[in-house]
Amino acid sequence: MTKLSRRHAIAGMGALTALKPRSSKAAEPVTVWWTQGFYEAENKAVIDAMAAWEKTTGTKVNLTIMNGPDLISKMIAAMQVGDVPDLVHSVTADRFLVPRAAWDDKLVDVSDVIDTQKHEFHQTALDSSRYYNLVQKKHSYYTVPIKCSTLMEQVWRPLIEDAGFSDKDIPTTQDAYYDFFQVVQDKLRGQGKRIYGLGYSMATKEADSGNLFHAFLVAYGGAGIVLPSGKLNIDDPAVRKAATTALDRLTGPYKKGYVPPGAINWGDVDNNNAFFAKQIVMTPNATISIAVAQMEKPEQYYKQVITQGMPNGNDGKPVLSVVSVSPCLIPKGAKNIDGAKALLKAFIQPDSLNSYLKETRGRYLPVMMTSIKNDPYWQDPTDPHRPVAVEAGLIRPSMPWWMTYNPAYSAVLSEQIWSQAEANITQKNMTPEQATEEAAGRIKSIFERFQIA
Amino acid sequence: MSGGSQARFDRRLATTGVAMLSVVLIIWTMLPLYNMVRVSLQGKDDVFSSSVFPTSWSLHSFTTVLHESYWLLANFWRQMGTSLYIGVIVALLTLAIGTLTSFTITRMRIKQAWMLTNAALLTYMIPMSFLAIPFYSIMGKYGLTNNPLAVIAVEVTFTTPYAIFIFKQYSASIPYELDEAARIDGASPPQIFFRIYLPLMAPALVAIGTYALLLSWNEYLYAFLLLSSDNNITVPVGLGKFLNSDEAPWNYLMAAAIIYALPPMAIYYAFRRKMSSGLTMGGVKG
Repeated sequence: MTKLSRRHAIAGMGALTALKPRSSKAAEPVTVWWTQGFYEAENKAVIDAMAAWEKTTGTKVNLTIMNGPDLISKMIAAMQVGDVPDLVHSVTADRFLVPRAAWDDKLVDVSDVIDTQKHEFHQTALDSSRYYNLVQKKHSYYTVPIKCSTLMEQVWRPLIEDAGFSDKDIPTTQDAYYDFFQVVQDKLRGQGKRIYGLGYSMATKEADSGNLFHAFLVAYGGAGIVLPSGKLNIDDPAVRKAATTALDRLTGPYKKGYVPPGAINWGDVDNNNAFFAKQIVMTPNATISIAVAQMEKPEQYYKQVITQGMPNGNDGKPVLSVVSVSPCLIPKGAKNIDGAKALLKAFIQPDSLNSYLKETRGRYLPVMMTSIKNDPYWQDPTDPHRPVAVEAGLIRPSMPWWMTYNPAYSAVLSEQIWSQAEANITQKNMTPEQATEEAAGRIKSIFERFQIA
Repeated sequence: MSGGSQARFDRRLATTGVAMLSVVLIIWTMLPLYNMVRVSLQGKDDVFSSSVFPTSWSLHSFTTVLHESYWLLANFWRQMGTSLYIGVIVALLTLAIGTLTSFTITRMRIKQAWMLTNAALLTYMIPMSFLAIPFYSIMGKYGLTNNPLAVIAVEVTFTTPYAIFIFKQYSASIPYELDEAARIDGASPPQIFFRIYLPLMAPALVAIGTYALLLSWNEYLYAFLLLSSDNNITVPVGLGKFLNSDEAPWNYLMAAAIIYALPPMAIYYAFRRKMSSGLTMGGVKG
């Protein structure tokens, strides 16, 4: 399967002579920085795809694969000094790099690349690639979507069974869903098991705690915290109430002992590790990485780990999924922009992109619906996790992160303002209302620096 | 209680207190190291077990590292070679620049030489991370990015001020009359440097050489910023790639880290007596 996929990718890339760069600059090498994959095959898929394009076009690709956080730091340094690569793929660039770089006119407009596959891309992926450029005073496409993900729930089936429940007992609405795991904890504690019901990430670092807060914010009706026009809407009573409720519902169980005390220091891998150690019954996670890590253990992958989408709202209606899109971008100052665009156009051919994404083992989802429709891999009914992730990220109603509306929200995430609000409640005994008020004040001051005309 | 027995009781109490404190400190210090070894001896699935002792242990992680038979360890020995190359060159250049500068300042008695020492120390006050962007820019202009020479240049910049300071302090303990006697016998400055100054500076040379080697051996920021390709990166940067994933095989990571820690440990224990005398003498002679 893996070899076949790779062969398809290479064949797809090889057939793209029509996309061969024609300008004289294209003969120059293309320097590519790519985020390291989770698996060797994932890296190899990129290496093979680049090699195939090299062979087809005769343009050399200088590919460097590095880990995610290092790549962002290195890109910031490179953009500061103006010595940048031609093409970059980073998993977290949509959050920490692109919004403000696009705002400052430091990225190349890639609308022409998007146009070649615009009809294929999922609408939320397209929306997540459009940013405002303050210098040119326009919205445009500054990134090309490659893969996406959204928050899901991972649950240990044996632990809920130990508590006397089954899958069918898990409620489907927001408050009832999370309350259920508190009951599970009480039952397990009654059996002398020191297990926590809820694996909430609540640290003021990395991405998981922010993902969780914002999923709660949307579930309680706060999706409009920033309007598509870029205007901050945090004084809207409905948004303010949603933020307060989200903080209350996250910190309340922590204070009552239903979340491990160490969760306030968890990095993104730590909820996974707590789950593997069966310290927690469930945890919200941005991908199905927890299940995928058990793929080589059929008992655990197929029977013990449950993947679920986020629960419906308290009114029983589906909640918007907030979708993160991992992009490719071309920084301004790149020496071979034509070559980078040609390479990117080849890479986002549906077959090529799909083959690459399959090597992530479903950790990341496609950004093109044709992949879902044409390739049974994504909706394989025998797989208990991948179709659930597809449903949550691509089929349910979804929305982009708010920094696509206004780059100020990128700073809100970098500063971990909402996680800090959680800490104010759990560590400094603020009320949720006080913590929301303080967070709102800080967010307003950030937005003052990013006024969209 | 008589005075004598009270004193004995106090002594025992003090001894017991010291012993207890020592045990706590030893456990505090050794626990992370023990955990490192424990994890390296366990299978991937047992890494997060709450057991204090390895449930089933094997040397599999170490053989995996030695044979580079895991994809993230594919270039481990090459990276080890790069780390060693950078560490040794940094140590040698630091010693060369440091000793020549301190010799010039203290033995050649150049006017206003103190300004050089102070200027060097001033640069030592600036944290390494503050200069990351300027160095990245400079190395880019010289065409040295993704070249170990860039890392060597940066690290020598940071090690030499301290080296000059220690050498200058240490050389004050060497009688200047030795230089005068040599000069009377017709020795040139280079002869004094090689035949008198350097042999007498041996403890300080060992201390500073080890310091420079260890600093570059463990350095991460500049190594990851200035080096990119798998063929050129150092071991710390290579090990950093493990932390990209929540599926990180911690047992391999810990085994690799233990192997990587062996050379500096060997160097430290081989030279520890000279190191401590070199570092402390520089501090008390003035």
